[in-house]
Amino acid sequence: MGLVDRGRLPKPLTSLFNLGRSYSMWVYQWGLACCAIEMGAAFGSPRYDVMRLGVIPLPASPRQADLVVISGTVTDKMAPAIKRLYEQMPEPKYVISMGSCANCGGPYWDSYSVTKGVDQIIPVDVYVPGCPPRPEALLEGVVLLQQRIKNEDMGARWRGEGTVAMSAIDGEAAERGGVPVVAN
Amino acid sequence: MSLLGDRQQLSYIAAQAADARVNVELETEGMTLNIGPQHPATHGTLRIIARLDGEQVVWAEPSAGYMHRGYEKLTEVRTFPQVTALVNRIDWLGSFANEVPFILAAEKLMGVEATPRAQHIRTILFELSRIANVSLFLGDLGVQLGAVTPVFFAFRDREYVLNLIEAATGGRFHPNFDRIGGLKDDLPAGFIDETRNVMKKLRGFCDEMEDLLFGNEIFQSRTRGIGVIPKDVALQYGLSGANLRASGVDWDLRRDQSLPMAWDKVDWKVITHPDGDSFARCWVRLQEVRESTRIVDQLLDTIPSGPVMVKVPKIIKVPEGEAWVSTENPLGEMGYYVVSQNDQGPFRVKIRSASFNNISIVPWLLKGVYVPDIITILASLYFILGDIDR
Amino acid sequence: MEVFPLSQTDTTEAPRDERREGELAALLAALGGNVADSLLKPNDDIWVRVTAETWRASAEAIKSLGYTYFCFLSAIDWMPSPFGKGEDDPTQPAPERKTDIVQGYAGGETRFQLLARFVKPFSSSGVNVKCDVPADSLTVESIVPVFAGANWHERETWEMFGINFAGHPDLRHIYLPQDFEGHPLRKDFPLLARIVKPWPGIVDVEPLPGDDSEEDGE
Repeated sequence: MGLVDRGRLPKPLTSLFNLGRSYSMWVYQWGLACCAIEMGAAFGSPRYDVMRLGVIPLPASPRQADLVVISGTVTDKMAPAIKRLYEQMPEPKYVISMGSCANCGGPYWDSYSVTKGVDQIIPVDVYVPGCPPRPEALLEGVVLLQQRIKNEDMGARWRGEGTVAMSAIDGEAAERGGVPVVAN
Repeated sequence: MSLLGDRQQLSYIAAQAADARVNVELETEGMTLNIGPQHPATHGTLRIIARLDGEQVVWAEPSAGYMHRGYEKLTEVRTFPQVTALVNRIDWLGSFANEVPFILAAEKLMGVEATPRAQHIRTILFELSRIANVSLFLGDLGVQLGAVTPVFFAFRDREYVLNLIEAATGGRFHPNFDRIGGLKDDLPAGFIDETRNVMKKLRGFCDEMEDLLFGNEIFQSRTRGIGVIPKDVALQYGLSGANLRASGVDWDLRRDQSLPMAWDKVDWKVITHPDGDSFARCWVRLQEVRESTRIVDQLLDTIPSGPVMVKVPKIIKVPEGEAWVSTENPLGEMGYYVVSQNDQGPFRVKIRSASFNNISIVPWLLKGVYVPDIITILASLYFILGDIDR
Repeated sequence: MEVFPLSQTDTTEAPRDERREGELAALLAALGGNVADSLLKPNDDIWVRVTAETWRASAEAIKSLGYTYFCFLSAIDWMPSPFGKGEDDPTQPAPERKTDIVQGYAGGETRFQLLARFVKPFSSSGVNVKCDVPADSLTVESIVPVFAGANWHERETWEMFGINFAGHPDLRHIYLPQDFEGHPLRKDFPLLARIVKPWPGIVDVEPLPGDDSEEDGE
């Protein structure tokens, strides 16, 4: 109907779609190094279950995934593979960068073979700091991403602008409600 | 009674036979199969390039380096405590075990020895990290061979061990707890009783794994006789750890080397297996986890009291010299050759990691095996990418 | 700067280590004229330095003595790094640094030295073997025919230091991408991130609030 691409989707409908999207994500884990083990503990172990958040791990291929979690050190040799993986994912797609190696190079910031942060290659939505971050921290990252999606402007994404918020979040109201503020 | 008449049946059969004759005369072209670098069956970013003839491998080669972070160069610009923090991340499943040989080498150069209590606790944490590491191996073994259930057991039971390590050191993995001269801190209250409980649970886990996996007929037929490594080849390539002991070499660095650690104060046995195939490697590791739980139990009974740190200066300058220390890490023999020139940081550190040697045998080993057996062999050789690539 | 004392079997005041002394004697007997120097540290380890021309022959001799386990092979670059510890201020001129090359145990005469370790299985008897790499050609014989496991180690040493191995079946990059320029573990290979933005130095030796001088040192 052209409502989304012309940006004329009414706000309640956008919120409904965003709500549905944020609670039905399929996560592709790109586990590279130590953070992959914590990611495995968050996604696959019965204690820090991620499925209760509506996020299901282990898609069959990146072409079926909505969200990719890059966990571990990104080396220069591996970077083309990550770029190709990101391009294979269909829109709308989100990236969580997990661990300090993926955020900024981490403890290997001065190495000759490490890419200093995966955001040099692909756009990142949420950074989860830690070395390695606890599984709960990764789950918090997922929750923050879900909040971001709930507030997302679908028209902007259709036009290719990435993740753009519909409106600036009222920080005070959010904090009063006990919700952590999503920084855009 | 058949739907087709006799004449039609005969012509159908003749056509099939003619087809088969043609297929036999056709030459099949080799295919190059690329496994990885992102693949659920490799423990990380290992890429195997295999040239196939049908289902058999003609030539295979692992292409490492996708996790090469340049450790040896980075150690040259860091101080000893900073290197300790960095070196945790080489074998990232059993992290405490990576720090120990490095700290022992630094202590050798400085001429200090840790206090008996620190040596004891170091050994306890070392064995705990071995249990954490190998229990995930057992879980992953199932996943790689197609059995998905064991990995959930492995993650659940590993959480108990990680809780212990976190209670003692503050970090689930990457504890960064060892210091030149001892440990950073003493054990918390209640650690000993909790560890005893967890060791009981881990023994239960080993029994579960044995029932689930090792008794399974499919597992046995997939691993028995696959990837046999004879003794002399294993020694030439520098294979170590359970891989070597599964080929019948009775050599364990905990027993055959005298280091300032507490293994010689407890009673335990070295487990070997004569076969040298994949089943032997997996089986030896399972038994070693059991043996580790027994070692930890005995160590808990006999922890000496005292300080956990000798008096060392605040800013440590390690005198000139070279030292080599290697220990029996969960993956094999890990050693550090530390060259120091009277500075706060090392001059050169050569990290001898077990998986590098373990995987260097793969081109020799994979000639002539079938494609599914590639995964079995890699699973049983057990490597961690951080250990190969450093 | 103190001259590092040349090696000699240390039997004067240090405790005696008969087992290692016997091993060293057997090694020296087997290697004969190949040996340039040796060192025994009692209750520690044995170092032997052989000449570059006899590298492969020495490896064969050591293997025939029973040291059949190939532990590792690598190299050491003895030149002090012109970049120090990577803490220089990029806006200031580089500080004065020592540039003389001082080798370690069992001496040496060149900037690069090969280092390998062979062990007798079932025991903790090992020998660290060093060899001076000739400075003009930077080539040594490959010991892949002797120890098949040396294949990957020699590839890594070539990649990191630029030392060629004559007779190696397949000398190419193992860790780094094919188009990588330079040999990273050489001391004159800079860590660019540290040159652009230097590490601020040690800031973590300050005592925690409330702790007195009993703090354990870092």
